[in-house]
Amino acid sequence: MSKFSEKIAAFTERHPTLYRGVVLGENIFKKAIFGCQDCGQCVLSYNAFVCCMRCPKQMRNGPCGGTRPDGHCEVYPNRRCIWWLINKRAKWLGRQAKLRKYHIPVDRRLEHTSAWMNMFAGRILPLDLSKELHEVELPKREPPPRR
Amino acid sequence: MDMVSGSRLERLLRQGEFVVCGEMSPPQGADKASILKKCDYFRGYVDAVNLTDNQTAIVRMSSVMSSVFVIEGGCEPVMQMTCRDRNRLAQQSDLLGAYAAGVRNVLCLTGDYQSFGNHADAKGVFDLDSVQLIRTVADMNAGKFMSGDEIKPPPAFFIGGAANPFAEPLDLRIIRLAKKIACGAHFIQTQPVFDWPRFEKWMSLVRDEGLDQQVFILVGVMPVRSVKALTYMRDEVPGMSIADEYIKRMESAKDPKEEGVAICVETMKRLRETPGVKGIHIMPVMWESITPRLVEEAGLLPRPQPIAIEEPAEPEPAEPAAPPS
Repeated sequence: MSKFSEKIAAFTERHPTLYRGVVLGENIFKKAIFGCQDCGQCVLSYNAFVCCMRCPKQMRNGPCGGTRPDGHCEVYPNRRCIWWLINKRAKWLGRQAKLRKYHIPVDRRLEHTSAWMNMFAGRILPLDLSKELHEVELPKREPPPRR
Repeated sequence: MDMVSGSRLERLLRQGEFVVCGEMSPPQGADKASILKKCDYFRGYVDAVNLTDNQTAIVRMSSVMSSVFVIEGGCEPVMQMTCRDRNRLAQQSDLLGAYAAGVRNVLCLTGDYQSFGNHADAKGVFDLDSVQLIRTVADMNAGKFMSGDEIKPPPAFFIGGAANPFAEPLDLRIIRLAKKIACGAHFIQTQPVFDWPRFEKWMSLVRDEGLDQQVFILVGVMPVRSVKALTYMRDEVPGMSIADEYIKRMESAKDPKEEGVAICVETMKRLRETPGVKGIHIMPVMWESITPRLVEEAGLLPRPQPIAIEEPAEPEPAEPAAPPS
């Protein structure tokens, strides 16, 4: 991101009440719309705006081998496989190229922090609305201050 | 590609041989003797044996220790490692230990979900997924822990991944396979084939992307003993596809065991003729004793010997740890 966004993130993270407000707002928005699991390192723009962390195995790089023929989950037979949904929506939105991105392991220190602020601070992959896959330099992984 | 681990499996594959892998379930008890006994079914009949890591989430002896016992029994192990039971620290430390004990092949899996096993109340770890685990092992081969710290001396594993040609959605299966290869997988083992149209569709997509040129694909086969086993797989094992033709054949057979063997041998022969397939992975679930017969009837005996290569120079012994000051 930019120097300006890094300043916003730094400012927010210096003010605990403001930061909690941002997390609350983000949660309300993302939980309602995307079923956000609060991993703090959002990859929605790579996964056709379906949250892959809803998968019981939290697969970030594609489906496990257990997707049922009707596209349902092996663990919860009455739920759709998240990756089946991602694939379907990626086709619909023309974002299949984005599915080829390799996602590095989850940084567990970022769980329950604000993905927006992490993005502004340059800790995680930026939101990428384009349909092509671009090589992005791996972000630095220093977590926000602990409280 | 250059030789990575120098394991028997790797050398045979790079020599262009059609390889055969077996699979052994470690015992549900503190029983080393049964592993050594099962080695008799594999020694000389297959090139390497997979050791499952608590498959279907049922507790068994650890795949690391079983692999070590299999070496003692005169076979080459392919150690399976799942992400269900260990976090990234435990995985890396187990890999170091396994390599030091002589394990050279590792198969990286995500692992069956814990609710399918006998400890359904357990916490699943899933710290990494299988693609990330493959990258981790590749990085360890290159001398780096996940943290970026240096490994002295580093291991040199022949890295495997799994692929399921039969589960939906097909196009994502190919993307995922390509990711595993890009992350450093050297060989791929698949689920057993009981649905040829689907398998050939998958295989042609793999060939179209040129993936069979970048990785050794070993395709799974499974001998079944009864029609019940097939219908169970069809109905209860997610991600499996069984053609009705096989169920009919098993139902009408006088001796289902013989028919199961016949189907398996047929599949093996047909796979040998399939372009892009570099070997077979026999998964005789709890029926290891049938392996020699399958390999013999499929005309895959005697197993080839790897051409001797120059032994890589012994890594320098690690420096003793500095005493705490």
